[in-house]
Amino acid sequence: MGRVILRSIAGAIPVVLLVTLITFGLMRLIPGDVSAALGGITSTTEEREQIRKNLGLDEPVHVQLLKWYGGLLRADLGRSHFLGKDVTTATFERLPVSFSLSLYALVITLILGIVSGILAALRQNTWVDQAAMMFALIGVSMPNFWLGLMMIVLFSVHLGWLPTGGYVPFTQDPIGWLRSTTMPAISLALLQVGLLARITRSTMLEVLRQDYVRTARAKGLPNYLVIGKHALANAMIPIITVIGIIVSLSVSGAVVTETVFSIPGVGQLLTSAILNRDYPMIQGGLLFVTLMLVGINIAVDVAYAWLDPRVRFERG
Amino acid sequence: MKKRHVVQLGLAAGLVGLAGSALAAPFTCPKKGGDLVFAGEAKVNSLDQYSSQTISTRNVVSNIFEPLMTRDETNQPILDLAESMTEAPDGLSYTFKLRQGIKFHNGKDMTSADVKASFDRYAKIGIERAFLVNVEKWEAPDAFTFIIRMKKKQPTFIEDLSSFSQPVVIIPAEQKDAEFLRLEPIGTGPFQVVEYVADSHVKLKRYEGYKPNTKFEQRTGFGGYKVACVDTVTYRIVTEPGARVAGIETGELSAVEDVPTKAQAQLKKNKNVVLVPLENWWVHIMLPNTKTAPTNNLAFRRAVQAALDMDEIMDASTDGAYKLNIGFQYPGRATYTDAGKETYNLKNKELAKKYLKEAGYNNEPLVLLTNKDYTSMYNAALVVSEQLKAVGINAKLDVMDWPTSVNRMIKEKDSWNFFYTGYGTQPALGPLATMKFFAGGNATPSPPDAELQAAYDDMITLPDPAKRQEAFARMQKRILEQVYAVPFGSLTKVQAVRANVKGYKPFRIPRFSNVWIE
Repeated sequence: MGRVILRSIAGAIPVVLLVTLITFGLMRLIPGDVSAALGGITSTTEEREQIRKNLGLDEPVHVQLLKWYGGLLRADLGRSHFLGKDVTTATFERLPVSFSLSLYALVITLILGIVSGILAALRQNTWVDQAAMMFALIGVSMPNFWLGLMMIVLFSVHLGWLPTGGYVPFTQDPIGWLRSTTMPAISLALLQVGLLARITRSTMLEVLRQDYVRTARAKGLPNYLVIGKHALANAMIPIITVIGIIVSLSVSGAVVTETVFSIPGVGQLLTSAILNRDYPMIQGGLLFVTLMLVGINIAVDVAYAWLDPRVRFERG
Repeated sequence: MKKRHVVQLGLAAGLVGLAGSALAAPFTCPKKGGDLVFAGEAKVNSLDQYSSQTISTRNVVSNIFEPLMTRDETNQPILDLAESMTEAPDGLSYTFKLRQGIKFHNGKDMTSADVKASFDRYAKIGIERAFLVNVEKWEAPDAFTFIIRMKKKQPTFIEDLSSFSQPVVIIPAEQKDAEFLRLEPIGTGPFQVVEYVADSHVKLKRYEGYKPNTKFEQRTGFGGYKVACVDTVTYRIVTEPGARVAGIETGELSAVEDVPTKAQAQLKKNKNVVLVPLENWWVHIMLPNTKTAPTNNLAFRRAVQAALDMDEIMDASTDGAYKLNIGFQYPGRATYTDAGKETYNLKNKELAKKYLKEAGYNNEPLVLLTNKDYTSMYNAALVVSEQLKAVGINAKLDVMDWPTSVNRMIKEKDSWNFFYTGYGTQPALGPLATMKFFAGGNATPSPPDAELQAAYDDMITLPDPAKRQEAFARMQKRILEQVYAVPFGSLTKVQAVRANVKGYKPFRIPRFSNVWIE
């Protein structure tokens, strides 16, 4: 197992380095810079040049690149132009928001996705199967922002059960956190449930036709043991892969949900940074996201090895 | 300096105070307490007023910081942290006596050393520091006197100094060397910062040590007699219009900055919500690139001008919340002029075709550079594009995000013909602030134009305000006749408050003082 982890980490290093370089280059290739965002809609050319000078953006690109790599070697990702704080601090402030929301959404996704996928597989071609798949399809097809707004209208305006937006940290008020994140988490989860339900269904259908499942049934094992222990355990490899993708999307791609519900997560942080051309924040933020995605991939690899001894032997 | 005179505005402020004291008592809050939750439509990118000119920054910091002078409700300069301002007869110095007993949010007394330090920082990094170009130096001879000495006379200096676009707000002297965007938000205003979470909210609380300006009885403009009635203000960033509407309906939000036109009918029926229209929010405009074909040809630009139907353009841009408006000031204001009206809203296809023929136009592409960050600009460009196609112009949209379009406008001068923007704060500040966009090729690549420059020079240098206004009219007429800009009209911005929020009156941006919750 240790070797699996080490190999995954070794494989990830070039990926991270490449991403940092591409990020730096791409951001400099996109026209527009921070001066337009800070100067406002009616700033003059001279005023915008003044802003660029104030922020050191008038230096040659290669000088800026060298400075950034120099900082990286000292574990210094620089300071955000806008936030007035270190990129590391700014990112760590947002990570708990995104993590807690993603975790909540993931729990909903896993429950709804796996249960509806299993039910659909067990009752293939019945109304249960069709209803589960239709539910999954609706979740994938509905625009995220529209679903969010509809939920606000129903649960906030008409029923008055939940707040329209904003975020309350769990550590400050657990009930407030639950109230402020329920609609965003559902909105985020429904998008992913379809994907998970469909992969669970197809994998389960494949596994349920295997000889060992038939043997288990022939041995007279109760249905829950056949499904839970023999079928589901063997179907978990592709499901774990999809869960890895879902977690990655939830953490880094929740921009729309965060915007609709005014939640200050990593998605909003990066979107604002990109729109404002806050270069240090974009570079540092994307580096964090890359590290996180690499971490999730390593976790998926480890889960493969844990679930399937063949993987351990092949890679070990 | 043998003799000095107190300028009209200092005297006016004093007289208002004296007259007012005989007639009415200073404002007192009918009710104190509560949390006013305000929803802003745009992200607040900084609380450093020296480093940001955005409206969202101003929305928050104008409740935290104060300058020596600001503008009143009618946009006239008034004293704020200054007790008096005396201009030397030769116009070469301005002496400010400071109000005493003013304390910063950190408890420190404000003195002329802080004012000097504030001007030092502004001169170093302030985005609009160009207005200090004629200043020789400033000095603080005693703790409550501050003097600005000029290299040469600048009759419009006080107009610039009192501008709320990016004022020289007074900060503690210890922050003099704070880098760009690194200012600690410690001011002298009625509210102080509790917490700032970017992309989420700014929490303010009443500054208990605040000393209102007793020269006045009421809040006026960004100055006057200000009192924090609410305990706290939570300035929430809610960029999604639907969420703002839902929030004001449920009462979760006390006030919202912008209500989409389509939601206004629904909110009007809600007896718990009051709509607060803010007319003349900004002038919608497109600027030609006079250095690139075909817009380098005056006859072609006149063809474009002749083809446009401003009602159609403004209606599509604003969902109907607009007024037709000639030029760069808002109707009803003393500085408004309709000079150049013969060029506006012509919607004359035949005239457009005549000009096209005169220009020798041969179906060259016309690039309309716009963006989707500001929907009104995008919609305006769409309608203009169709109107121009109708007279035979090969108009094409080039759509990008706002920073990219600005960058392209500045750096890729051959790649576009019309750039879409809007003037908001500047027309509100007056003709001078607006006309600076057209002097010296500032915001758009315009050709050297001696007549235009002469009018601008008169606007800055003539001592008589009436003559300066006349120069403005000349300049506006020249701009419109030469089609250096195509202003479409002015937008109305509709804000909304809960019915129990009293005293809320928008003045360009939200003011949280003298507002209470019943």
